[in-house]
Formats: sequence, structure tokens, C-alpha cells
Amino acid sequence: MTEKDWAHERDVIVETISRLMIPFIQLFALYVIIHGAGGPGGGFQGGVIIASSFVLYLVAFGLAAAGKRFPERANNYLMSTGVYIYAGVGLLCLIASLGAAQYLNYGFIPLTHMFEENRALGMDLVEIGIGITVGAVITEIFFNLVWKQDMDETEKEGQE
Amino acid sequence: MKQISLVALIFIILLGGLFVYVAEDIPDFGDPNSAPNRYTPLFTLDAAGSVGALDQGVVPEALRTALEDRGFRDYELPTSVKKVTDGEWDGYLVPDEQYYKTAIAKFGTAPDAPKEQKYYFIKQEGDTLDVYRYAPIIRYVEEGEHETEVPNMVTYILADYRGYDTLGETTVIFTAGISVILLLRRRGKKPQ
Repeated sequence: MTEKDWAHERDVIVETISRLMIPFIQLFALYVIIHGAGGPGGGFQGGVIIASSFVLYLVAFGLAAAGKRFPERANNYLMSTGVYIYAGVGLLCLIASLGAAQYLNYGFIPLTHMFEENRALGMDLVEIGIGITVGAVITEIFFNLVWKQDMDETEKEGQE
Repeated sequence: MKQISLVALIFIILLGGLFVYVAEDIPDFGDPNSAPNRYTPLFTLDAAGSVGALDQGVVPEALRTALEDRGFRDYELPTSVKKVTDGEWDGYLVPDEQYYKTAIAKFGTAPDAPKEQKYYFIKQEGDTLDVYRYAPIIRYVEEGEHETEVPNMVTYILADYRGYDTLGETTVIFTAGISVILLLRRRGKKPQ
């Protein structure tokens, strides 16, 4: 990737504002994921918000810089990590209860001594898994679409 | 061309009539107490001799045999009855009793005492008793906050009671990401 990025001109205002906003967007995403138990929010919404921060970074700084900050190699692992966390919490219920509980019956994970509290905490773990998967997938889709457009334009220029 | 439009018109009239016929049975939207939203009708019984037992909180023999005749298992029979208003009763049972017993045998401690839950709803209509069964959503709405210690109804239904469903949704999104990688990413021609 050279400096002739697709329709990307370095703009001081956009870069400064997004540099200011991105940490707060990511903090808000974590808040939404963790707050899913107590109020509006949850893994899907928080994951999309965390993906939107990377989309903003890409829009402001271009594909090459965003690829360094959020490398696709890490993204591949993150996408499946979320599903593994979800399925793993389900399996943990079976293992921790020695087969007495059903799959995804969070109450039997021995985190606290209260059955109901365990259910609440198990739900939080699951929401974190959903958030990781959704954030990674949405980012991946956007990065790949931008990269595809980029490749098409360079091919067109080469033909001319 | 003319013939096709005539056939289409007849079909539209037919389908419209069918829709009106079906739409009569759609329950009122937003009314949580309408019969199909809250419970499903099962069958009707003869009321003679049963009302007194129901008022005293005893499950009448006629109801028990009627349920057994229709193939309900032992653990699906009501264990107690409570009166709601005149001519309306709730039938209670412990749906997960066996499961809780195995859990107690393995751990020594109960996760929580096996809890009676509303399962059947009995209503008197003149000389007959209508027997209904409560929809599962009634339990989620009424008992969920107590059972999961989470105040947000959307979250505890999504992540706990419908955990399998949400696991599937997450897998669907994961599959979408994999498909995008397979379709758009070309090996070797990648920038940087």
C-alpha cells in the first residue's frame, strides 16, 4: 500500500477528532457489554459499537494505518474466540457439575455460593463472548470491503 | 394477456378471503391476558363434583384421570391447586423435581428449593370446566428476575432461557465473517 490511498486525503480536523473520540467509543462499548445485565445493552450492541470505533479509525487514517492497529491475523483468532467462549461456558457447566446440569445451565458454575448469582455471572461471560465475535466480524467485513474496492481501483488504473 | 389478469384477480380475491378467515383467530396484539397469548386451551371437563375440591385446594380425581387419559406423564400432573378468583384456579406442579433431586444427591446442597410453578389454568364456564395450560413465557415474565437475579428481562431471556438460540445467532454471525473472508480475501495479492 503506497501513499496513493483510495480517495484518502489526510485531514487534520478529522484525524484529531477521531483520535479524541475513539477511546471514549471503545470505553462506551465495554460499558454497554458489561451493562447488559442491568439495563439496555448486551453483547450484540456493544460489539457493533466497538467495531464502529475501528471503522472510524479506517475512515480517518486509511486502510494501511488501520491494518497496523487491528491486524487481520489477530482478527481471525478473535472471531472464533468469542464463539469458543460461549460454547466453553456451556461446557464448563457440564464439567463443573460433573454431568448433573444441562448444557448452558449457568447456575452450576461455582463462581459464588448462590445459584442465582452464578446465573447472572454466567450471562455476563456469555455476553463478553458475543461482543468479541460481533466486533471482530463487523470490523472484518468492513475492512475486507474497503480492501476489495481498493484492489479494484488499482487494477483499473493499471489497465489504463 | 387478458386471461392471465382475470386469473390473477380471482386469486387475489381467494387469498384475501382466506386471510380474512385466518385473521379472525389472531389474538389481540398487545393484550397479554388474551387466551392465546397467556395460555393454550387443552380440553373441557364436566364440572359436577369438581368445583368443591378445587376450592379446597385439592386436585379433583376427574381432572387427574382426564389428563392421564390424554397421555400426560406422572410428572406433568398437578400437585396442588390455588384459587385465583371465583371460578378460576391455577394448577401448580414442580416441573424440574427429578432434575433437582439428582443435583442435590451429587452436591449435597440444593441450588434452590424445587419450586412450584403455575402450569394449568382451570376456568368454570357454566356446567363445564375449561382446562388451559400456561405459556412458558408467563414463567419467564413472572419468575425470571427472582430466578436469575438480573433485572433486565430482555437479557435474561436472550442469554439464559434461550441460551441455545443465542449460541446459534453468534454462530450465524461468525459464519458471515468466514464467508466474507472466503469471498473477498485473495491470498498473495494482499496489500502491505
